[in-house]
Amino acid sequence: MFAIIDQLYIILPMTIVLIGAFTLMILSQYKIFKLQQFNLVAVLFLTIALAIVLMQFGQIQKGYLFADIIGEIFIVDDFALLFDIMSITGVILTLLINTDYFQSRSYFNGEYFALLLFSLFGMILLAHAHELVTAFIGLEIASLSIYALVGYHKNNHVSSEAMMKYLVLGSMTGAFFILGTALIYGAVGSTTLTDIAIYLNEPSTSEAELVIIGATLIMITILFKIGAVPFHAWVIDVYEGSPFPITMFMASTFKIAIFAIALRLYLLDFLSLYTKWHFVLQTITILTLVGGSWLAITQTSIKRMLAGSSIVHGGYMLIAITSIGTGSQIAVPAIMFYLIAYFLSAVGAFGILSYISASGIKQLTYEDFKGFSERRPYLAIFMSIFMLSLAGFPSTIGFLGKFYIFTAGVESEQFLLVGLGIITAFISIYYYFKVIAMMYFYPNNEDQKPIRRTFSSALIVLMAILIIWGGIGTSLIPFIPSADALIDIAKDAINSIG
Amino acid sequence: MEQILSAIIFIPFFTALLASLLRLSYSNLRTLSIVSSIIVFGLVLFLAIQYDPHGGMQFIRTVDWIKNYGISYHLGVDTLSLVLLLLVSLLMPLLYLYMWHEHRKGYWYNMLLLQSGITGAVLSLDLILFYLFWEMMLLPIFIMIGRYGNSNRQYNATKLLLMTMLGSMSMLFSILYLGYTHFEISGIWSYSIESLSLVIFSPFIAIWVASGFLLAFIIKIPLVGFHTWMAPAYGSSPTPAVVILSAIMAKLGVYGIWRFGFTFFEETLTRYTPHIITLALIGLIYYAIIAITQSSLRRMFAYASGSHLSLITLGLFFANIYSWGGSLYFIITHALASAGIFLMIGLIYKRAKTINIDSLGGIASQAPLFALFFTFFALSIAGVPGTGGFVAELLIIIGAFKYNILIGIATASTMLLAMLYTFWMLQRTLFGAVGVATQNFTDLSKKEIIMLLPLAILLLVTGIAPSLFIPFIEPWISITLESINQNIGGL
Repeated sequence: MFAIIDQLYIILPMTIVLIGAFTLMILSQYKIFKLQQFNLVAVLFLTIALAIVLMQFGQIQKGYLFADIIGEIFIVDDFALLFDIMSITGVILTLLINTDYFQSRSYFNGEYFALLLFSLFGMILLAHAHELVTAFIGLEIASLSIYALVGYHKNNHVSSEAMMKYLVLGSMTGAFFILGTALIYGAVGSTTLTDIAIYLNEPSTSEAELVIIGATLIMITILFKIGAVPFHAWVIDVYEGSPFPITMFMASTFKIAIFAIALRLYLLDFLSLYTKWHFVLQTITILTLVGGSWLAITQTSIKRMLAGSSIVHGGYMLIAITSIGTGSQIAVPAIMFYLIAYFLSAVGAFGILSYISASGIKQLTYEDFKGFSERRPYLAIFMSIFMLSLAGFPSTIGFLGKFYIFTAGVESEQFLLVGLGIITAFISIYYYFKVIAMMYFYPNNEDQKPIRRTFSSALIVLMAILIIWGGIGTSLIPFIPSADALIDIAKDAINSIG
Repeated sequence: MEQILSAIIFIPFFTALLASLLRLSYSNLRTLSIVSSIIVFGLVLFLAIQYDPHGGMQFIRTVDWIKNYGISYHLGVDTLSLVLLLLVSLLMPLLYLYMWHEHRKGYWYNMLLLQSGITGAVLSLDLILFYLFWEMMLLPIFIMIGRYGNSNRQYNATKLLLMTMLGSMSMLFSILYLGYTHFEISGIWSYSIESLSLVIFSPFIAIWVASGFLLAFIIKIPLVGFHTWMAPAYGSSPTPAVVILSAIMAKLGVYGIWRFGFTFFEETLTRYTPHIITLALIGLIYYAIIAITQSSLRRMFAYASGSHLSLITLGLFFANIYSWGGSLYFIITHALASAGIFLMIGLIYKRAKTINIDSLGGIASQAPLFALFFTFFALSIAGVPGTGGFVAELLIIIGAFKYNILIGIATASTMLLAMLYTFWMLQRTLFGAVGVATQNFTDLSKKEIIMLLPLAILLLVTGIAPSLFIPFIEPWISITLESINQNIGGL
């Protein structure tokens, strides 16, 4: 058990995020502050929170917070802390890489940053939840903020449509989660993950059907949130309708948080139900890979293509999820590595898109990229790096991510899924390389644009370097953590869960 | 000494990186590229002198890369890779000479990166590392064709990319499966060639795993049926890219079969042998016939190159000492000759603004020296006695007769067909009436002679005095063949 002072120290990052959100909300009443200042305040709070989490990571033994008051609801372990680090870093990067974009659109204001921080608070809660209702609260805090953020451009009907679509469908699947929780409570008599695990491991369990149905309903919510086919109908429209920073946030950071709860639920409780789910999960994985590829191929707008391809990337991670049940040792670290890899590449790609559209263009199609390499030679190189990483080209972090995922699949002898994964990776070459082809193969009809030395461009460079480093970064160069070290950290974090 | 292989791989890469960071002007970039390529060539020559033909894999360097999966940065050189290494490092300075007036800087960057990719693929002894370089070398070619090529370049570049990637992806699957099987058997992850060559599969699975590798290499060669990217890509590549495609990259397909096919799947390959021999024989004759009908010089020699690569593949699968010697020898001489011929086609295009055979004519009377070199390279492609191509083709044909007399006869037809298209083409381009296009055809300049002379001299030497080279390649072939026969016999 922790002393009270320790417990306060542990929830400090969360508290800071929450205080930051409220501060921003109060500050946004005053019209004298500029947008950049709100951004700065948000980043400041998050940086402090991140610093504290980084100090905590690996130093804190596993335990439940305020267990004497609320029971085993709020868990602290390296797994949760690692996801905290990933989400907070994600939000910081999202905020910084979009500085140019914020300034170019008049509809952003202080509340925007407050909502983003509220959403982050929900995500952190989600990572630490050890009980279904808490998880639901975290999920809804995160989601509700995102609903508002999606429709933030309130004069734009595409944005409003996206928000309505996401709100209605999202709330409905949220109800699935609650129903599932209720059914499980009916069978188990408790909603903490420990109790459910104990119940499921009892040989005499007779009413497991209720738990199976409940777990399936919860799974549907999670699959909806990561955009797996057939729960994907919202993805493309919502991603397209949202402002760039939100699309980026949903595609990368929010997905990380969803996987935090999904992995915890799956590893602790529902793994024993795997035999019942096996077939369904495999089918969903296949549908996601094929359907996502189809959606991605058929788009003409880059933003929609990236939205479609984010479904495919979800599919790759589902390959690893199905591999967990069939006894793959490396599936879970592979998912965490893939989340980081996808996060870096997607943030980079969306970052470039938002950087370009900051200077005017509303919708970016493949056509708009014709001659891009002559207009902006440096950005073209970075865009190519992001595309290569998303396509899983070797020497980028995306390749290693796919390598780990596929190895996990092969290890659990799911050759059908891995084969299909490799085929979809091949298809993805087409739509990612189309961007590269557009940039390099067509003559330029516009003037060369000077590069603006801003935070956004600096971060784009940073992302590209991280991607290359993650792909080839080796133990050849001492003192800098390599791609190897990342997976080791993930493994240690997984061990803390069980 | 330990780092010499790494230096050979990465000097061009870092040259490109440095130049792009310093934002060099094109003339400085040119100087830097040429200096780097000459340094690399010097290093490779030094390596070749130090190399012991009887010593097997040498200059091995192993550093851990991704420890969790036993992936290492693992390099080494043996005769097969040394041959390709010598070729690529010799060609690069000559190509830079050809590109002397090239102002587009991207061109130079891509060439530098290409050299790194190719040498890396040739030297790596770890499958994941090999895969990395294998893909790395595709990217510059893709960009060069799509950006600096001609006639429908975007489409042709994408076609090349997609078809080659299809092969790469199937290879990746096989690599993963090999690695996993090794892990399952021994409990250790490893992707290095030595440890994976110990893995034994059931025959059924081995066929599938081998097919993953074979697909990648057959598309790269390309054998008939997998060749639809070849003529369009050769046709719309800029000259340096087409030289690399024909002289080096196509050979890497053969290299892959040799290096991986014959170490992992000695026994399984014997099941594939009849099929591949059929494919290659069809290709050998079919490509040659198509070559006769082509009107563009580029496309004609693209098909000729396909025909000869089928011949090299044939030699590989006859798997006896003559045919293997012939194949390795042909890799050398064909690379030299096809580099020469494609460079000269580039020169023709610079002068006459066309490479359509019908619009050319009478070059011999306008530019005798040019005609001399052109004839020489064309004849060495055809395999006329006195050029290196002859020795190589003869060895492969002897090997073919050893394998089967009918197949031997079919293989021998290549010499005839090659004579046919070469002489007919020579007659129409070099002789006859001077056309509009060739009216102001200037002779070779000094720079161009310097560029072509090394290739011509080497072709002559390889043709007249093969005994200088055979002792260099023979030990490796007999050792490798012996170990393969032992493995097959032992099973």
